[in-house]
Amino acid sequence: MMKIIAKERLPEVLQLLAKDYNVLVPAKFEGVSRFTPYSADVELALEENVLMPPKDIFFPQTEKMYKFKAKDKSLEIEELPVEKEEQLIFGIRSCDLKSLECLDQVFLTKGYVDHFYKDKRDRTALIALSCLQPQEACFCGSMGVDPQNGVGADIQAYDLKDKIGFKAISAKGQEILEKISGLLAEEEVTIPTFGEFNLKADIEGVPEKLQGMFDHPLWADICRKCLNCGACTYVCPTCHCFDIDSEVRGEDGVKIRCWDTCMFGEYTQMAGGHNPRPTKKERVRNRFMHKLRYFPERYKMLLCTGCGRCVVKCPVNLDITAIIKKIKEAE
Amino acid sequence: MKEITLQMQELARELLQKGEVNVVLGWEKGTFWYLSPPAFVDKPEDVERLVYDDYCHHNLSKYLMDYRYQEGKVAVFLKGCDSRAFNILLEDNQLEREKYVLIGIPCPGMKDQEKAKEFGVNGDIPLAKKCQECKYPNPLVYDYFLGDKKAADEAAATKEAKAKEYSDVEQMEKMTSDEKYDFWSSQYERCIRCYACRNVCPACNCRECIFDQSRTGWIGKANNASENQFFALTRAMHVAGRCIECGECERACPMHIPIMLLNKKLIKDINELFGEYDAGVKVDGVLPLGHFDKNDPEEFM
Repeated sequence: MMKIIAKERLPEVLQLLAKDYNVLVPAKFEGVSRFTPYSADVELALEENVLMPPKDIFFPQTEKMYKFKAKDKSLEIEELPVEKEEQLIFGIRSCDLKSLECLDQVFLTKGYVDHFYKDKRDRTALIALSCLQPQEACFCGSMGVDPQNGVGADIQAYDLKDKIGFKAISAKGQEILEKISGLLAEEEVTIPTFGEFNLKADIEGVPEKLQGMFDHPLWADICRKCLNCGACTYVCPTCHCFDIDSEVRGEDGVKIRCWDTCMFGEYTQMAGGHNPRPTKKERVRNRFMHKLRYFPERYKMLLCTGCGRCVVKCPVNLDITAIIKKIKEAE
Repeated sequence: MKEITLQMQELARELLQKGEVNVVLGWEKGTFWYLSPPAFVDKPEDVERLVYDDYCHHNLSKYLMDYRYQEGKVAVFLKGCDSRAFNILLEDNQLEREKYVLIGIPCPGMKDQEKAKEFGVNGDIPLAKKCQECKYPNPLVYDYFLGDKKAADEAAATKEAKAKEYSDVEQMEKMTSDEKYDFWSSQYERCIRCYACRNVCPACNCRECIFDQSRTGWIGKANNASENQFFALTRAMHVAGRCIECGECERACPMHIPIMLLNKKLIKDINELFGEYDAGVKVDGVLPLGHFDKNDPEEFM
């Protein structure tokens, strides 16, 4: 038995939850879909995953860290007010849940806790939504993700075509489900079978093989069409590099941290002018090495969830599944 | 186009076998049927990867900058817009003409990739907007020409004779200042500053881009409407008079920002202010904004 609601009545559930939470839902504006604060006039985009991953909810592209005032030789630091509002994401997919697991490793483990990230993570509840069909660039199945059962959600919602089913996973999820239970019916349901993936990647043995491939000629070949733009990394749910900078006006300043990308030459530019990654060969190599070797070495998991966003958005079709294939086939 | 594909492969094989060039830049099939990304072929046995079909959007001229300081020659396939890009790179003193073997191919217009994805392989897929408006489908500079030159010239003559298509720009010009501001703010609010538009652009060929000079304070790292618009306007003004209308910026943009509308507005203004001018058509050093003439009137000084 599962708690269900007809798909067209989903806004009632969201409306109710919006009383207690800032509810974020998948919606599309001018060709770009992303998680958007719910209101009655937001049109839900539930057919496919959102283009912009949920990472910016926890790790915004630009985030103010603190204010400061520097006068003569004195420096005053002013903490910024902490947001307290409880958030809830509805419709996060399995691949993006997996990406949060990756980001958690970076921002919460190995003896260092990033409180900017942790604060948002702690006050955000997650309602996952199962996928009915893979999109043409999806390959999460190859990356060990189950598109119908996400890991780390508070509630798993199931797309049952004309209905949505809800299953509480965590205690917090149970609590949320109770709030909306008045709107839900109980029914015996069958979860629709998931279609065949169009894209696949055989990742078996790739992290290990890459250990001996730093100087392989393959990198000089595959980098050639790369434009060294940051599209792949900025639409990636797991890429998490940032740069810290200040905005200063007179005596007053704000410290900000902003997404950065290993695709940019400036990323590794050092004081004095040396750049250890001088050309696109080194930058492209770093991107794939980080995803497929360094991250697995450090955290025992891949830094790619198979969401397919980079495959869709790369202007020159530098396709990670094709790169994995080339790595596998390389001598 | 199938026939041109075979001719491309044949010529590429010959150039590589004879050792006339080290590498041939063309297109190959990508992950999906509607993608034909750039291909770099350096062995005669690999020439069969090369294709010419409805999705060879990528302007290959920009990649020639990667070979400036390498020994040996490079062959490249050029459609009309790619050849205008090559001319702009020559005009900007970025390339040496002798280093490149230019293989011109007539272009029937490339199809809209987004629509292809939407309508499917059997759908009736329209030409990309930039190609519907194209006036120069044939290469303007080349060492070899593949395909039927006569038929291509006839097709090009019809397109060249047509008046420039500015209806979208005129629509925008009708907005009030506030409406324009709101429109462009909402477009650039979603810019993620990945710089795909800049990196794909043949007119963006500065040794060091202003937007990479992080310590100068020209532009901050923060992503917000103000910085993003500063980026957009600065880039638009910098490529003004040199934009060859390949539309690659807009195609490369992951956020669906109508970048060509901004570029076209500047092209229209330049045509109105300085007389008729199409960038990259001739290489004569006479640029509407980049040319110094001491007899220029300086009424505003």
